[in-house]
Amino acid sequence: MLMSIRADHSTVQKTPDSVKGRAELALNNEFLRRAVKFTTERLKSGKLAAAEEHGNWEEWRERGRQIRLHTIAHLDYYLEQFVNNARAHGVHVHFASDAKEAVQLTMRIAKEKQAKSAVKSKSMVSEELHINHALEEEGIEAIETDLGEYIIQLAHETPSHIIIPAIHKNRHQIAELLSKEAGEDLPPDTAVLAGFVRKKLREKFLEADIGMTGCNFAIAETGSMVLFENEGNGRMVSTVPKTQITFMGMERIIPTLDDLEVMATLLPRSATGQRLTVYMSVLSGPRRAADADGPEEMHIIILDNGRSLQLGDTHFQELLNCIRCGACLNACPVYRHIGGHAYGGVYSGPIGAVLTPALNKNMAEWDDIASASSLCGACYEACPVKIPLHDMLVYLRHRKVEAGRGEQAEKMGMQGFRFIMSDAKRLKMIAKLGRWVQKPFVRDGKITTQIGPLKGWNAYRHLPSLPSETFREQWKQLEQELHASGRPTVHEEIRARMEKLVAARNQSDHMHAGDMARSSDLQAASRLKAAEGERRDER
Amino acid sequence: MNDKTFLAELDAQSRVKQEEFFDHIASRLQRPRQKTAPIRTLKGAPEDWDRYELSLEARITQFVKHWELAGGHAHRLAAMKDAVLLIQDMVRHTGAKHLIMQDQPELEPIQTALLRTKEELQREEQQDINLTIWNAHGLDDAAKGWLVAAAAQADIGITAAHAAVSYTGSVVLPSSEISGRTVSLLPTMLIVIIPVLRLKTRLGEVLRPMDEWPLAERPAGIHFVSGPSRSADIENDLTIGVHGPGIVHALLIEEA
Repeated sequence: MLMSIRADHSTVQKTPDSVKGRAELALNNEFLRRAVKFTTERLKSGKLAAAEEHGNWEEWRERGRQIRLHTIAHLDYYLEQFVNNARAHGVHVHFASDAKEAVQLTMRIAKEKQAKSAVKSKSMVSEELHINHALEEEGIEAIETDLGEYIIQLAHETPSHIIIPAIHKNRHQIAELLSKEAGEDLPPDTAVLAGFVRKKLREKFLEADIGMTGCNFAIAETGSMVLFENEGNGRMVSTVPKTQITFMGMERIIPTLDDLEVMATLLPRSATGQRLTVYMSVLSGPRRAADADGPEEMHIIILDNGRSLQLGDTHFQELLNCIRCGACLNACPVYRHIGGHAYGGVYSGPIGAVLTPALNKNMAEWDDIASASSLCGACYEACPVKIPLHDMLVYLRHRKVEAGRGEQAEKMGMQGFRFIMSDAKRLKMIAKLGRWVQKPFVRDGKITTQIGPLKGWNAYRHLPSLPSETFREQWKQLEQELHASGRPTVHEEIRARMEKLVAARNQSDHMHAGDMARSSDLQAASRLKAAEGERRDER
Repeated sequence: MNDKTFLAELDAQSRVKQEEFFDHIASRLQRPRQKTAPIRTLKGAPEDWDRYELSLEARITQFVKHWELAGGHAHRLAAMKDAVLLIQDMVRHTGAKHLIMQDQPELEPIQTALLRTKEELQREEQQDINLTIWNAHGLDDAAKGWLVAAAAQADIGITAAHAAVSYTGSVVLPSSEISGRTVSLLPTMLIVIIPVLRLKTRLGEVLRPMDEWPLAERPAGIHFVSGPSRSADIENDLTIGVHGPGIVHALLIEEA
């Protein structure tokens, strides 16, 4: 997987192997950091304003979550219903267990149609497939038509944001790329650049043999697929070319158009803060015999590619609820700092940190992206369908440590910490030793040296020195002072509560990593149970 | 191998594969295949929301506000004849050459008037208007292709809305023989006629009945349009008219 992504990159620069390495590339790129911060903050505040304006946001989130939970819990039923209804409209439905099968199906159709070019609207699934690469190998021109996607295609890069793929490019870089395409110098003026793309791509739409789209939602009841977009390129590729091929993740289903109102409320508000995207298209099969436009032939390729691995997994099944809005990216302090490419996979941000290892079933290779999170839970709060991403990240890290793939240094550190902290005398001795060792390095109560392990910390800030006296050492004196000043009385109620807490703590084992994971186990299990049992209407 | 046998072969393979696919899902979910409709207690929007309904006047105000916030232009007109005058005026002032409109019955007065305008302008030797009416009835593939080509060249496209939604500021445009999808997509400017009685408050009021539409009557495309085509992909700077129409006019007709 990793290798095939590399193969698609035609960038000369070698991509580092770890999130840490890729993040350093990103952190060094000052523009990227500022652009990502500016954009995500705008999207984030737009989302908050839109949620606020709509009102009862929590109730809508819960409704969205319930609809997704119900659908995923009965995925085989709804998928089959969708397939039957789509076929009744004349759609050719195909199934692909992995990316390779989906590519093979696409290529068979493309060859049969003797296609010379294909126009594509934005689809994250097609990024999973690296379909452009496959098409180009067969001499079929593949053109991304979303403005941002077109720009990064010209730059031979991958999207760095799920909603704004070219978030990392400034207008001067874009003008340079488009000028090369135009064969003349275009000014770095947004309107001019967009105007050029409109004209250029208009020709491509009209001459393309195949239109390729993603699928935001598929409606089981009506056999329709739904596209949300702002530019109109999604409508173009699903209207003008003779053949339409749609890539659909197998979990994209919702039961009815009635349920679409909930998704249409949550998705655009969470993604860009809009009331609704400019275009929401409900497409049910190819053109009717009497129609004069619309595709003559419509194919929907339903893709698994690791999704079914999440089914029945108490910790990760809720990942399939994701509606790909990007709100967690915008909310994430880590994403805002390192940008999308640092995550190394198709999906970035908190969702990518969980989804990439989950879809690739190889924790070992991707596990370091689980560490690219501060576990602050901002992603969960932003998520319109309440996916507990932070819990999942903790669990991923736990799995990694359990599998013995933790970092050796970290492990030793933790063991050392446990050794020191489990004995008061030992701690006292070590503190004394530390005060003696630090002596040559302390200046004004601070340690500024960057030797060995201190480099990472001290490069940007200073380490405070160990105090000359520990709290324990101060305690005797403090206690005397306290007695002298008359001991404050503790409120009865508070005392009772404190005692209860202590008793409770003595009963249970002390919390360590295992318990943390167990408690998140329980949370996940109870969530899932609530989902499957189709919780009775609580209102 | 011709197209039909190719597709038949793909479909046959798909039907074999699908059983494996669905069985795999059921086995991952650790239960037998779900063959009957699962019971649902929750469906669609929260119940409180279903009670949200605005008066006609409030719906109109809300629609205009939201449509304009998205960058569209809105006009409240007393009668269809005002729409006719406004459109004639637009055509004269913009110097539009190519016009395309759906052959929907509610647009009939506009059609007649534009044909008159065309003659007038020809007589005045000011403007040569090319007006295409979208009706695919009895057309062969080549003629249908010409309709799309006309839409691609059009300065103005005119369509009537099946419905509109005030809360999201959207117009709803289903496709049919007399209502092309490209008419609302390819022209530079789009004019949408909305008889106000078709204006609803919530998206659900439009979507819910569509679940019940019989298969044979379901249009291939239903497009919810909420303003001009836009993009913020270049430095988050809003650009209008990227692929679809950059100028959109909603004409709300208040006569019953």
